[in-house]
Amino acid sequence: MTALSMPLPGAVRALRLELKRNAVPYLLPLLAGVFFFDTLRTAGGYPPVWTLRASVIGNHMLFEFGAFAGGLAAWAGSREGRRKTLDLVVTTSRAAWARLSIALAGTLCWLLLAFLAGVALLYVTTAVQATWGGPPLWPVVVGAAGVTVITVIGFTCGALFPGRFTAPLVAVGTLVLYQAALHAALGIMGSSGTYALLSPASAPPNVDAGIYYRIAPDQSIVQVMFMGGIAVALFGLLGLAPDLRRLASLRGRLAGGESWLLRAVAVVLIGCGAAAAATAFSLAGTARPDAVGGWAVPALRSAASDRPLPVTQDCTSSSGFRVCVHPAFSFYLHDVAAALDPVAAEIAGLPGAPASASEVASTGQAASGISRSRPVFEFTAQNVGNMFGQFLGIPDAGAWRAGFRQGLLEAFLAGPSPDAGPGGAPLGAAQQAVENGLLAAAGSPPGDPDVKQMLNEQPGSGTSAAISAATRRFLALSAGARRAWLATHLTALRAGTITLAQIP
Amino acid sequence: MNVTLTDVRRSFGKNPAVDGVSMELGTGVFGLLGPNGAGKTSLLRMLATVLPPSSGEMSLLGRDPGASAARRDIRRRLGYLPQNLGYYPSFTVVEFVEYFALLKEMPSAAVPKAVAAAVERVDLGPKAKAKLRTLSGGMLRRVGIAQAIVNDPDLLLLDEPTAGLDPEQRVQFRALMRSLGESATVVVSTHLVEDVGAACSQVALMSAGKIAFRGTPDELTARGQGHSVGDAPLERGYSAVLSAARS
Repeated sequence: MTALSMPLPGAVRALRLELKRNAVPYLLPLLAGVFFFDTLRTAGGYPPVWTLRASVIGNHMLFEFGAFAGGLAAWAGSREGRRKTLDLVVTTSRAAWARLSIALAGTLCWLLLAFLAGVALLYVTTAVQATWGGPPLWPVVVGAAGVTVITVIGFTCGALFPGRFTAPLVAVGTLVLYQAALHAALGIMGSSGTYALLSPASAPPNVDAGIYYRIAPDQSIVQVMFMGGIAVALFGLLGLAPDLRRLASLRGRLAGGESWLLRAVAVVLIGCGAAAAATAFSLAGTARPDAVGGWAVPALRSAASDRPLPVTQDCTSSSGFRVCVHPAFSFYLHDVAAALDPVAAEIAGLPGAPASASEVASTGQAASGISRSRPVFEFTAQNVGNMFGQFLGIPDAGAWRAGFRQGLLEAFLAGPSPDAGPGGAPLGAAQQAVENGLLAAAGSPPGDPDVKQMLNEQPGSGTSAAISAATRRFLALSAGARRAWLATHLTALRAGTITLAQIP
Repeated sequence: MNVTLTDVRRSFGKNPAVDGVSMELGTGVFGLLGPNGAGKTSLLRMLATVLPPSSGEMSLLGRDPGASAARRDIRRRLGYLPQNLGYYPSFTVVEFVEYFALLKEMPSAAVPKAVAAAVERVDLGPKAKAKLRTLSGGMLRRVGIAQAIVNDPDLLLLDEPTAGLDPEQRVQFRALMRSLGESATVVVSTHLVEDVGAACSQVALMSAGKIAFRGTPDELTARGQGHSVGDAPLERGYSAVLSAARS
């Protein structure tokens, strides 16, 4: 008998039947539609950065898969009770635990397969667009653990409380649980403390998370341990399902449950799973914010996570002003150069004017500024997020460009900062007028609504009319006159001793 | 003896369903008659190891079903058709029978052949690939019988097996029972006394949880001599025994 002609073991044949007659495939088109309209479109709105795109696995995909997984698993778990086959199946020799495990495995296989197919699609679309790095695996592991634990919870609920309403109740309960976990995660360090780190759902990470520094797996390990522990404990509980049914049976005790050996294994699994979940819970309680914007669990922390990743930036200096970004963001290098070049040309050669611009890690940095140690305009990758509308809501190229230019000019007019930040304090009225004038002179179209707004009004300022008037006067100067005036008065302007009236 | 019961009792709360039943059954077809609520189904569920007895001793296929390992062994050699057959509508006939063959831990290599044979024996060959949701009540009953006999059981328990079958199918099924009874103990609980007369070598009549009569169908018929209630001789015997038990 060859290996191919050997009959499949009974459990495998039963699993094949469960896979063939599972309810999951019937709902796959609906799940695929929800996945496309929510997860995939959300990811498509993010910059093509692996970490950011992968964050939708926990924040969107798990939400959708969770509801389906919980409901479908509860449907499968409640089958014997719903279809009233309990009398029939309990007279068979295969252990109830094995029978339930096969049904659970059939549902879980389909759900994990669908989940991994979704992840593959997400990662393939990201791979086509991303310019650096590779697919992060921890979000996939956490997501798979999430799907698994929700499936096991749903199945156990179905097995222990069979009924036609069990599945919809579990599906709704999963949605509520997810929202509660997300709420706790968003308000982390608030009422929930760091225990909210156990939630796989959270706010999207910084746009450069995992770019300049590794993303430490601490949080992921704790989440997998927590969800895996719950799944194992509930799987053990399934082993005691016949005994629990026997206790709850109103029609009288059903004949003998599992053997003592199986019961002992079930109890051990419950204990191990509960211990793992409790350990993860206590580990989450020890988490502290780390230096790179993530969370450190001291017991799991590796020093390698805090070391910056070596990188050679991608640069361009087509117009003489050198602009460098991390290769992960090279897709917007020329947009950055095109945005900064005109402003850089306006201030080129003036004291304190940057000779180049370079992207830096956002960790502990303000959005942009000029370093005191070198004449370089430093900006963070938050600008990428702004460009994609990640924080503004809607991508707006004009607003992004104006904001970026404004950042450079504010850094220039405020002077070098030890923090490479914009100086903290807002610009004075004279500085504001000069900035507006330079922005308008930097080749922005006269009809640019952003510039027009700056010329006509400064919100929150009682001297907005005076600023606009000074801006118009300054803009009316020739480029040479503006440059000469700035060269003479730049120190006083930065010091805040120039008044609006002194602007020519 | 495949079945030995000694003073077996089963109560639900304060209501005794089976009240001190003792019997021994060897191979053959054994009919269990009785009115509604007589305890037939409870007795059958105990024989099927669904319910443990409240008291008394049971031995099935020479083993004590109270012990886990023995119960598992008994269940491998058991076939059971409950009164209300639950089923999975999305399964086909073959898949449903195969599923139970696998749950009965039949050798994997023997399953396809055994499933095909069981489906053929209940005359469902042409419907083998049909989904259960598409079958009539009588066909579903035959599917239930097929899953009960797929493992060629030594102890076959059938609760109202002919309910929903048409007359032709009922005749075929009686022949099947007789055939199975040649090598196994077949216990048939039924309301239809003609089934008992046609297929059973032994019969017991239950009333209020007790065995009111035990003997052959002919002996039961003889009890009806001079009794006026009932259309057929066996029915008159049935009625006479019940009347005597109640009085």
